[in-house]
Amino acid sequence: MRDARSSAPGLYLHIPFCSAICPYCDFSVMRAASPARQRFASRLVAEVSLAASAWRDPRPFDTVYFGGGTPSQLPAEDLARVLDACRTHLPFATPAPWVFLEANPEDVTPEACAAWRGLGVRTLSLGVQSFADEALRFLGRRHTGRQARGAVETALAAGFDTVSIDLIFGLRGQAAEDWQLELATAISLEPQHLSCYQLTIHPQTRFGVQAKHGQLSELPEDDQANLFELTHRFLADAGWPAYEVSNFARGPAHQSRHNRKYWDHTPYLGLGPSAHSLAAAEASSPARRWWNERGTPRWERRLAAGERPIEAQELLGPKDLAAEALLLGLRTTAGIDLEGLRARYGVDLLAANDTLVARLVDEGRIVVRADAEGGRWLVPTLSGLAVADGLAAAFDLSLPN
Amino acid sequence: MDHIRNFCIIAHIDHGKSTLADRLIQRCGAVEDREFRDQILDSMDLERERGITIKANTVTLPYTARDGRTYELNLIDTPGHVDFSHEVRRSLMSCEGALLVVDASQGVEAQTVANLYLAMEFGLTIVPVINKIDLPSADIDRVMEEIDRDLGLDPFESVQVSAKMGTGIDDLLEAIVAKLPPPKGDPQAPLRALLFDAQYDSYRGAVLLVRFFDGTLKAGTRVRLMHSDAEHKVEEVGCQRLKRVPVPELSAGEVGYVLAGMKSLAGLAIGDTLTEAERPAAEPVAGYREAKPVVFSSIYPMATDDYENLTKALEKLKLNDASLIYEKDSSAALGFGFRCGFLGLLHLDVVQERLEREYDLSLILSAPSVRYRIVRNDDSEVWIDNPSFYPDPASIKEAYEPYIKATIMTPERYLGTVMELCRERRGVETTYNYLAAGRMEVVSQLPLAEVLFDFYDRLKSITQGYGSFDYELLDYRLGDMVKVDILVNGEKVDALSQLVHREFARPRALRYCERLARKIPRQQFKIAIQGAIGGQIIARTTINPFRKDVTAKCYGGDITRKRKLLEKQKEGKKKMKMVGAVEIPQAAFVAVLRTEDEDEE
Repeated sequence: MRDARSSAPGLYLHIPFCSAICPYCDFSVMRAASPARQRFASRLVAEVSLAASAWRDPRPFDTVYFGGGTPSQLPAEDLARVLDACRTHLPFATPAPWVFLEANPEDVTPEACAAWRGLGVRTLSLGVQSFADEALRFLGRRHTGRQARGAVETALAAGFDTVSIDLIFGLRGQAAEDWQLELATAISLEPQHLSCYQLTIHPQTRFGVQAKHGQLSELPEDDQANLFELTHRFLADAGWPAYEVSNFARGPAHQSRHNRKYWDHTPYLGLGPSAHSLAAAEASSPARRWWNERGTPRWERRLAAGERPIEAQELLGPKDLAAEALLLGLRTTAGIDLEGLRARYGVDLLAANDTLVARLVDEGRIVVRADAEGGRWLVPTLSGLAVADGLAAAFDLSLPN
Repeated sequence: MDHIRNFCIIAHIDHGKSTLADRLIQRCGAVEDREFRDQILDSMDLERERGITIKANTVTLPYTARDGRTYELNLIDTPGHVDFSHEVRRSLMSCEGALLVVDASQGVEAQTVANLYLAMEFGLTIVPVINKIDLPSADIDRVMEEIDRDLGLDPFESVQVSAKMGTGIDDLLEAIVAKLPPPKGDPQAPLRALLFDAQYDSYRGAVLLVRFFDGTLKAGTRVRLMHSDAEHKVEEVGCQRLKRVPVPELSAGEVGYVLAGMKSLAGLAIGDTLTEAERPAAEPVAGYREAKPVVFSSIYPMATDDYENLTKALEKLKLNDASLIYEKDSSAALGFGFRCGFLGLLHLDVVQERLEREYDLSLILSAPSVRYRIVRNDDSEVWIDNPSFYPDPASIKEAYEPYIKATIMTPERYLGTVMELCRERRGVETTYNYLAAGRMEVVSQLPLAEVLFDFYDRLKSITQGYGSFDYELLDYRLGDMVKVDILVNGEKVDALSQLVHREFARPRALRYCERLARKIPRQQFKIAIQGAIGGQIIARTTINPFRKDVTAKCYGGDITRKRKLLEKQKEGKKKMKMVGAVEIPQAAFVAVLRTEDEDEE
């Protein structure tokens, strides 16, 4: 299974623009008029060429992901300009890389879909968040439930390989039945992919400020757990198995081949404000992660000065990578490839944690499973997935020095 | 010798002893005003902060009286807490007189009476001092009445002062000169000098503070410590001003210091008598008693790698705290540590705070225990102060526990609740006396073990702070003890084991379990916390596992952040102890082992 995974790098392009700033969002986002957006596209093109000259990995990119923000807010011709620059300066796979685009429901029209399809977009990811008007108002979204349904239908009719719907649960006062209805509505539209995120209140957001003043709070842990389990059980029963904490696909072909790279240390190049990149270890240098300036104005200023807009970087030793592999692997239903972990980082996870593993198996948090090639996997159960953060912290990652 | 006055100040805690000492020192010009720090005698930070004197300090003050003569006033500071009564006794023996301080608004308290009796036992002349007369709540008439009735002293002999404002200090100095007798003694007789305190100086080693009863001592003389039978050559003698000032000789009646090349305080016994090796005295100064620890607890470093540091810290602490005793100990749950003996709970507290503050150590202390006398079936005897070594109950014929005589003073309206508290704590022969209008004295014989467990805090709380408490050890009496173990997921947390009276085993175990359950964070699996006597479970609580903690999103930018968070968490875990695969934070041990009762919170 692991051998079948692509190790070709992925390309991420961050488009920070939004028509409105959602009160829960802590991504690098901004509102801007169209001249600013055009200027942004030019800057991004400039970054592509700068970054390409420093990108050493010879393997061709097989995914391109337009994320944000709201990439659908950038005109298709600007997206095309950026994509052309990428194709010119970076090695692209043949056949063409799988292109992902995040879109707001209000931007989804048959014309826009046709233009995106023309760019090579194969997964359209829709920021639906909810089909209930009241919830949408609370979340500060500009579309209605009806518009959301319409957008999904339009996208499906346009012939994308995968249409994905983003939903948010765990809103204040949301009953289990309300949420189940959202899920039922989503799958009744027959998309191919679903992302269900629990509402997280970040400090630097409007919700964060409200929470600080006691006007808002995340749900109590038991309610969170109940909704989380409901989500996974309901979708699994409906033929929508999870492949990660928040991600569900109608069959393996529809799992996000781009996001998976983040979770298994496949290299990725991120361009645009706040974008992160990872370069694989080479014979003479360790793996490296770096990230761009978070604020768009700063990012632009650096590029205007002819510099790469990198804010900082870190070098990742085997211990860091092993820690990440653990925390990321425990978030996936495939789990952790124990032989892979040993081969790559010299960590024998089972040997170093035998008592813990026995307990966790006993408690029903994890299972140890053999695959067809004789490899062993540490796989979280549903209740393990729900506490993946704590699980990751529980393991001892003793490394031979 | 006529110009010498040796005196101490005795007072209930908080009645202003240290401030009064400061004022006397300042008035006698022993220190420049600009150098003056409040409570100059309390040299440890801890003392300054708590406003109590832990280690006695002593100072010689030159005072020119109204009669034109210059006197040498030796102020011998005494520790202000019952735990240190051993040191108090040595200090009192060095004096001819005592200033008995009474707070003008609080009046006479249990410790005031206890201190007075102690001073009288040593035949001291007492001058009552009414302090804090500047307070709006001062009630001098009532306090004078109490001095008369409760203390049997002549209230018209008392001096009224405000140490804080400096009022009445001159009158007090005159009273010291006029009313306290000068010392007696024969400077030609064989040397007899009482070692009443010792300090540690990092350059000079042990500094012996002594009161000369007979004889004369100068540098170069070989001295013998009569009880410990050790000989040393004197390097220097001198007066204890705020700094040490060497003098050619010290003789009968005087108070001063002796340096004799001793590297540490180890082996020095407070109360010992110095005599000349060549021409020894026939008898040592009377009243020598060994300081015996009564409270025991094991001290463990929170981080196991701090064991070496703890070892060093205890060695250093021992240099200037001869009453602290310790030996190696180890716990399955907490690793290596030390079993320590203390003079009382305050002493324990002080040692813990000093270790944590001065040596920057993070510590866990096991439940304090008293020392039990166990008679086995074969009539052999064993003393047990550590629950880990408690013998198999089947092998025990009889167990004895220490009793104290507690003297409690309380306003009359709390009499009922105070009597009830004594009854709850297995007090026997509890009696009460009227002292003055509205004031009662309750005397009760209590097992010391019951006093260790939050007795004082309970007393303070039920009397709304008005109750005061003093105790002395009585004897050993037959008891019915059991060893209560606390188990986490079936594994014994040995540091939490304790010896408890059978009657209290269940409630105590339950309280421990509940406190632990509140402080151990939820983990990946269910945690059972049990209290047990032998194999029998007598209390139980459970901590349910986590159900949900996973963050919703984890994409490019989140990974570094999440890994850092994980590293931080792991760092935090290093500060936890693993018992039965359960991580127990220090806070949990502290919460369980603290004595005060906060379970209502």
